Amino acid sequence: MAVILVLDDSATMVMSLTHILKGAGYDVETGMNGREGITKLTDGVKPSVILTDLNMPELDGIGFIKEARKIASTKFTPIIVLTTESGGRKRDEARAAGASGWLTKPAEPNQLLSVVKQLCPSK
Amino acid sequence: MSGSTEANERVVCAILAEQVAALRDRMDAANTFDLLWRTTALLSWLSGLLNDLSTQQPSPNPVLERERAEAVAEIVEIRRALDELAFFQAQRQDFAKQIADCVVTALERMAIAEMPPGTSFSSGDLAELYVSKDQRELHDAVMRRLST
Repeated sequence: MAVILVLDDSATMVMSLTHILKGAGYDVETGMNGREGITKLTDGVKPSVILTDLNMPELDGIGFIKEARKIASTKFTPIIVLTTESGGRKRDEARAAGASGWLTKPAEPNQLLSVVKQLCPSK
Repeated sequence: MSGSTEANERVVCAILAEQVAALRDRMDAANTFDLLWRTTALLSWLSGLLNDLSTQQPSPNPVLERERAEAVAEIVEIRRALDELAFFQAQRQDFAKQIADCVVTALERMAIAEMPPGTSFSSGDLAELYVSKDQRELHDAVMRRLST
């Protein structure tokens, strides 16, 4: 079963995303900030897709993407930024760091699942 | 501005920061979301159960079978709508908390007693705290209104 790594500092958002993704048949790993995300990756979690917020404490989304791209197993893993930010500057910054795509909140469950499905069709 | 006026304003900012922080903490609706998700899980289970019961009937009653199919279709639709509602509300709550975080941070900075006399917290300083386009657009609208 495909694993999705979800990173968001809002517990409600993490629970909500987990519910939507598990309901669609994905396994979900979670973290409350970028640092926890990196720990998951270095501990051996191999997600098919990573969903990350941008504004998080300790290590934000951009920092997480930069560090994740240095880890061999996630060098090419699709990373989708899910955030309230829709500004061009932040988007460019995320893309430069290695983000694969962008979803602006509020997103619809189907929109989210459609993107995830496209990125790991072999679920 | 006199020293005592500045001191009073800092006290007001400190109190307002605490009040907005308390308001932000009350926004937590985890119990509501938990109930919504449990409801959708229960609906899933019920529709599966109805299907299982139907397949175990050697000679199903056509009327009951039609009603079962209608009930399952309705359950699926309600589950989809509840999932969507919960997801939207979670995102809205997250957004509202981010705005409250921004106000709390701004008020806390304005309340710092050690700030050198005459130092102000500018609208530009405030804009540095934003985390969404909506906040920036609101900021710009207020700035335009105040400048006319």
